[in-house]
Amino acid sequence: MEKGFVENGFIIDLSDAKNTTQLVFELSSIMEHPDVKGKKICLKLGDLDLKQSQLLSIKALIESMDADIAFIDTNSEQTEASAISLGIIISELSDKEIPSIAASSESNIKEEAVEIKIEDENVKKDDLNKTIEIHADIEQNQNSPIETAEDVEDIYEEETTQEISEIIPTEHFETNFETLALNEGLVPKEEISKYILLDTGDVLPAGVEENSVNTEALPTLYINQTLRSGQTVTYEGNILIIGDAHPGSEIVATGDITVWGILGGIAHAGSLGNITSKVRALKLNAIQLRIAGLYARRNDTLNVPYVQKTNEFTPEEAHIEDGKIVIYKKLRRD
Amino acid sequence: MTGRVIVITSGKGGVGKTTTSANIGTALAKAGNKVVLIDTDLGLRNLDLLLGLENRIVYTIVDVIEERCKLKQALVKDKKNPNLSLLAAAQTRDKTAVNAEQLKEICDTLKEENDFVLVDCPAGIEQGFQNAVAGASEAIVVTTPEMSAIRDADRIIGLLEAKEEIKSYKLLLNRVRPSLIKSNEMMSVDDVVEILSCPLVGIIPEDTGIITSTNKGEPIVNDENALAGKAYRNVAQRILGEEVPFLDLDEPKGFMAKIKNAFAKLKAKV
Repeated sequence: MEKGFVENGFIIDLSDAKNTTQLVFELSSIMEHPDVKGKKICLKLGDLDLKQSQLLSIKALIESMDADIAFIDTNSEQTEASAISLGIIISELSDKEIPSIAASSESNIKEEAVEIKIEDENVKKDDLNKTIEIHADIEQNQNSPIETAEDVEDIYEEETTQEISEIIPTEHFETNFETLALNEGLVPKEEISKYILLDTGDVLPAGVEENSVNTEALPTLYINQTLRSGQTVTYEGNILIIGDAHPGSEIVATGDITVWGILGGIAHAGSLGNITSKVRALKLNAIQLRIAGLYARRNDTLNVPYVQKTNEFTPEEAHIEDGKIVIYKKLRRD
Repeated sequence: MTGRVIVITSGKGGVGKTTTSANIGTALAKAGNKVVLIDTDLGLRNLDLLLGLENRIVYTIVDVIEERCKLKQALVKDKKNPNLSLLAAAQTRDKTAVNAEQLKEICDTLKEENDFVLVDCPAGIEQGFQNAVAGASEAIVVTTPEMSAIRDADRIIGLLEAKEEIKSYKLLLNRVRPSLIKSNEMMSVDDVVEILSCPLVGIIPEDTGIITSTNKGEPIVNDENALAGKAYRNVAQRILGEEVPFLDLDEPKGFMAKIKNAFAKLKAKV
């Protein structure tokens, strides 16, 4: 019994099994191995004819061990038909030896893709030099991990020839991966606005009157450090922070707030009612933006990564326009 | 209406008080009860994160006490369940900003309009703990099957017994790993109950889903398939007075049992 091991998956060869009972017995004894947990399983089923129900119970057995079927390889037409109706992907492991590059390769799926590629290229070009090039190619492929289903699909689309598309039903592939990608949140369903105005009808303190003092005339507090969770800066005038303001921190100014870094906490500009105040940051990610009497909260979908470190800076400025907090992508003078 | 005020405490940090508060609160609200969660961990608040409500907090418990707003204004409604609301702790202050009497007053006010008031207690036995316990009449002591957590839970139970206001206290055993118990590497549920001699309200299995649920800001009770979520729903039912058997956390042993289990799972998915 041949059993191959790759980093994120198992190839289990059951092609020697003579009947279903023997197959299930062999499989269950392999599945007992603790390393199988969470892996992608590649099943070699050989000539055995499996009905849909039998294949389903095998799938259930594998899933009960927290593993998943990545591919199956079979010579039987009946098994193939059952697999298609169950949505299991069929591929050919071919009679090639399982490569011994196990440690460096990322997953079963990728190895599959690479293997197929070798075949194609070899058929097309028999030049020795080219083959070396191809090998270099493969190495590159191995370095870039293929994690999402979409990537795998891409490889198939680019590299497959007719020969292979006969084995893999493409239509099935597409629908399957689209729903998968949607479930994983890879494809945004709709564009969302970043900030939502809080209903502040009953939360605002009384006695704060709207005014529009020129913030340029106000004094400015210059802070050269990172604000951490729980730290507050309050100032009558403008505040300039050179550094990040982490989530959980609070900046309250009667004038403008400028953060030369990532703004992740709460920022309240014009805290005494100055509606001309602005909040600016290299990355405007405040959990709440408050300007004068208007409070806006960050969209829930942006809530997931609690601390967002980034090297991509998109300078933004927030101010009040027609009774709403609006954010501009670029800093503007007007 | 007079609701029940339950404090969720542990002594030791990191055993799952906040996770427990968020999940029991959500489960009780889902069952149709009006629930308020109070975070009393001033300066190190987390409950809002677990519920995904951080971006909605305008006023905190300190603002209420210092009369900068009314109690009603400070209650943050849950995204999904209008029955559930949160009274957040202040992040920029420390435990001395509140005293026991003030918290008792808040609890007394809240229990008049709610079925349940759950108080999430900070770690330790100092002022934060004294504050959190002040308004409560029941307690849930969260512990894990580790000697250090059990020792701290024992200390807490002692302190709770000395308080006249606490009429009943129950134990919630968190992060149980049946496989470790089986191989005698972890104390069993019975061992812990025997050491602490305290009635049990729930056994929660270790579940990696808790980490993702915390990051998403969505309590695990909302996940119908998660075992920990089911365990928390059972706890809520027990709090409501129903008799629910404890989950059988043993994984099926034989091969046939595995197949059966797998089919049951498949069925559940359909």
